[in-house]
Amino acid sequence: MSAAIAAEAWRAPRWLKRHETLLAIILVIALIALGAFNDRFLTVENLLDQGRFITETGLIALPMTFIIITGGIDLSVGAIVGLCAVMLGYSWKTFGFPLPLAIVFALFVGALAGFVNGFIITRVRVPPLIMTIATLALYRGLAEGVSQAHSVRGYPDWFYFLGQGSVFGVPAQLLLLVVLIVVAGVALDRTTFGRALYAIGANETAARFSALPVDRVKLIVYTLSGLASGLAAWVLVSRVTTTRMDMGTGYELDVIAAVVLGGTSIFGGSGTIWGTVIGLVMIQLLKNGLALTGVKGDATIVVIGVALILSVLIASSLQRRRD
Amino acid sequence: MRASLLTSTAAAMFALSFAAGGASAASKWDGADDLPTSPLACDASAAAAPAAAKPYDGGQPTNPPDKAGKEITLVDVPKLIGIGYFNATSKGMQDAAKELGNVKVTTDGPTEAKIDEQIKFIDNYITRGVDGVLFAANDPVAIAPVLKKALSKGIHVVGYDANSTPDAREWFVNQAEFNGIGKGMMDSMAKEIGEDGSFAIVTSTFTTPNQARWIAEMQAYAEKCHPKMKWLETVEAQEDNNLSFNQATTLINKYGDKLKGLFGMTSVATPASAEAVTKAGQCGKIAVVGLATPNAMKPYLKTDCVKSVVLWNPIDLGYAATYVMRAVVDGKLKPGATSVEAGKLGKLNVVNGSEILLGPPFIYTKANIDKFDF
Amino acid sequence: MSATAVASPASPLSGAWRRLASQEALLAVAIVGLAIVVGLINPRFLATRNLADILLGNAYIAVAAVGMSMVIISGNIDISVGALIGVLATVSGSLAVAGAPILVSWLVPLVLGVAVMAAQGAIVAYLRIPAIVVTLGMLSILKGGLISVTGGKWITDLPQNFHLADLSLFGVPMPVVIMVLATALAALWMRHSPRGRAIYATGGNPEAARLCGVNPQRTVLMVFALHGLFAGLASLVYATQLRVIQSTTPQGLELTIITAAVVGGVSILGGVGTVVGSTLAAVLIAEITSALVFINVSPYWTDAVRGALILATVIADILRRQRRAARGWKR
Repeated sequence: MSAAIAAEAWRAPRWLKRHETLLAIILVIALIALGAFNDRFLTVENLLDQGRFITETGLIALPMTFIIITGGIDLSVGAIVGLCAVMLGYSWKTFGFPLPLAIVFALFVGALAGFVNGFIITRVRVPPLIMTIATLALYRGLAEGVSQAHSVRGYPDWFYFLGQGSVFGVPAQLLLLVVLIVVAGVALDRTTFGRALYAIGANETAARFSALPVDRVKLIVYTLSGLASGLAAWVLVSRVTTTRMDMGTGYELDVIAAVVLGGTSIFGGSGTIWGTVIGLVMIQLLKNGLALTGVKGDATIVVIGVALILSVLIASSLQRRRD
Repeated sequence: MRASLLTSTAAAMFALSFAAGGASAASKWDGADDLPTSPLACDASAAAAPAAAKPYDGGQPTNPPDKAGKEITLVDVPKLIGIGYFNATSKGMQDAAKELGNVKVTTDGPTEAKIDEQIKFIDNYITRGVDGVLFAANDPVAIAPVLKKALSKGIHVVGYDANSTPDAREWFVNQAEFNGIGKGMMDSMAKEIGEDGSFAIVTSTFTTPNQARWIAEMQAYAEKCHPKMKWLETVEAQEDNNLSFNQATTLINKYGDKLKGLFGMTSVATPASAEAVTKAGQCGKIAVVGLATPNAMKPYLKTDCVKSVVLWNPIDLGYAATYVMRAVVDGKLKPGATSVEAGKLGKLNVVNGSEILLGPPFIYTKANIDKFDF
Repeated sequence: MSATAVASPASPLSGAWRRLASQEALLAVAIVGLAIVVGLINPRFLATRNLADILLGNAYIAVAAVGMSMVIISGNIDISVGALIGVLATVSGSLAVAGAPILVSWLVPLVLGVAVMAAQGAIVAYLRIPAIVVTLGMLSILKGGLISVTGGKWITDLPQNFHLADLSLFGVPMPVVIMVLATALAALWMRHSPRGRAIYATGGNPEAARLCGVNPQRTVLMVFALHGLFAGLASLVYATQLRVIQSTTPQGLELTIITAAVVGGVSILGGVGTVVGSTLAAVLIAEITSALVFINVSPYWTDAVRGALILATVIADILRRQRRAARGWKR
């Protein structure tokens, strides 16, 4: 009798079975494995370096998590990065804005682009996938037209601090990302705004009838997505010291992969910032670790593709067993 | 609603077309960059005359380990992997490595020509610790920070095919001078379509640095030596064969008899243009001149649709780059040198301060096309 | 008593069919209208040769869009199709060059396309992994795999009879034949066959579909398999059009195909749309691309203009549908 009680008493705590935890465990295992193969992988210098590369997609992944939680999606983020990068350079060089104003202008353009997405999605009710596929083409085209395919370079030294500088050894952009991760995590977890996102994703009609300002919330997240893309553009231009209209190409897929890997359901209603962070870290460190171990570029993307499917498979089947 | 939507769309298109028509009346050819050009002389004398010597302007590694005579490990990070051109440069590097005996070269890079990805690849190899980096840059300025990081870690940096800013690398092996390509292309076209022919250009994208330079040099040279030839327009078609084919076909249909020649600026645009001319039944009536790798052009050279293909030998390019790197590590190629020994290629000259010139462009024709396989 | 207009019970989709028919009509009008407008500016646009070239050069997109429409109508999406077409084209060409019988080099891509897509469909349907994740992973696998195996080597020396796209049937070139047949057969099947209508049901409301006796999982698997078939057909047209095959993933192709499906009226919410619409949309997008060159839009602005037109079309489609819904079922 006591054995039966004892057997029943131990049930794995709920947090252990969450998608994020399972993913974190897979991540740790992968890191240890890769670290065993290669002694340069798990060094502080390398990891901080990778932090630099994570930042651009990381910044965009935060509002993307919000958007996917509401059941939407935003495929135009990469194009907005390109557009903002172009606007940064263009307004500085051609309009003659002082550089700080040019930066603000670029961020404004990003927010505006996101706002247009959100406005048409909420007012005209174009489905997000369709709207952002169309604006993907439009914003990229605008970037090309405005820039006339020219790059803008030759920025003053202080401008490069964000992308290339460090604060007490930590890359500057990584600090920015960490701060925003905390803000986003708190917003999602602790505010009514965050709860509204989950409600909208779970059942939008019910949310509307509960007097939640559904349209306003959606408008905000899409605008934030554009703003984050603008921020990412600023970091990117600062890191590579030039602007190109094709900057950000493919970011949307990288960001969505990280968010979905992190356990956010593409159907909406669930997901955490923490999961997104793990997803981001996992993909970047996997690519880095494989490269350091000597796996070439083409094989690496095959491994990443397999890893993506497998991780989601494992995590979701373990979760379903719990149900 | 439908009618008003259509009317407003039509009106928008009208307005756009007039606006855009005005915009495209700019003096610069579409697809050219803004850097200063230096067209060569119109006759054949230009080829032999070397440019005036410039002081060395490359970067230098910080405290590189002394590996003179010892085995070195190099990484080659081209614009992208998985295209014939960089397979060929890679092969040249492997050939050189085998000849030298104390060089190991690995080719690795992004699967798409994205500068951001290329930077990450180079960064990973810096962390792994290589002795030298060979690169072909997707963007000359964007690649500079990571190359300078390599230099600061004592890693040697030599570029080929697509340059970076000079201070980010020690040497750059240039396949051909930009103005040499400009001259070669325009002269070939003029020979085929005459001094008052009109032509159009098919390129990949306007942001590819080499292509933009070539178009700018072609324009400068044409204005100087073939002023009556008429440039009609430039179209972009990414790096997709089918898209380029469609664009070239559109040009042929748009201009009809007015179009006498098509320039292909990449190894995708040229075969696609040749295909468009073939499909339109205009072989012999519309000339196709361009840069391309030989394999893709075989069918069109064999039917005489294309007379000759301009390129350099990418295998030689990779080969030379490896020899240059070896010479740099061995201390045989120092800033201020005027030439370098490159194995079977003999002595290559230093031009423009820190560039090493491969030699004159190589012309592929029906006669020699079968000797190559890339 | 005035007859309250309700969808005729004899054919539940007929009201929907009529509703959807106008998106196709809108597209058809746009195609003709655009041709006239551009023809006024540059009459060479209307030359038979040019119009034929527009159709021929882009038929492969329309064929692939048929399969993609089915996938989207069933409530899923696929972003690996571009890479798959690249792989299948390479396989087809490689077989032909290696001396395999021409029929083999034409049929293997179809079989392979079905196999790869069915595998993805199985993962989506039975393992319940979202389609966007599976196809995103598969995209990387196909792209990397293609480079690893071929190194991007051009396939040349294709045998003369390989070029399916150069043949014609009763004077109509093969690409157009394939495009029209694929669209027509798919459209009829989806409208009249129970399995075809099951796709709409699965996409619209899987639970309700299940209660009506439709097996959503099997339907999704079937949809992906069919999508693979159409991708294979598209790859055939793609590969046999030119004398050389680039062994790479066509850049941005999946986006073009999805755009064609979406502009064609297929709703991402599932359950709505037709393949006729997606074919017309593919033709319209191809026509716009050509038109922009003919009317001298600056090449730096062509992508922006095209993006704006696509956005306008999409908005117009949604507004039109809302207007219809507001008017209810009244005739």
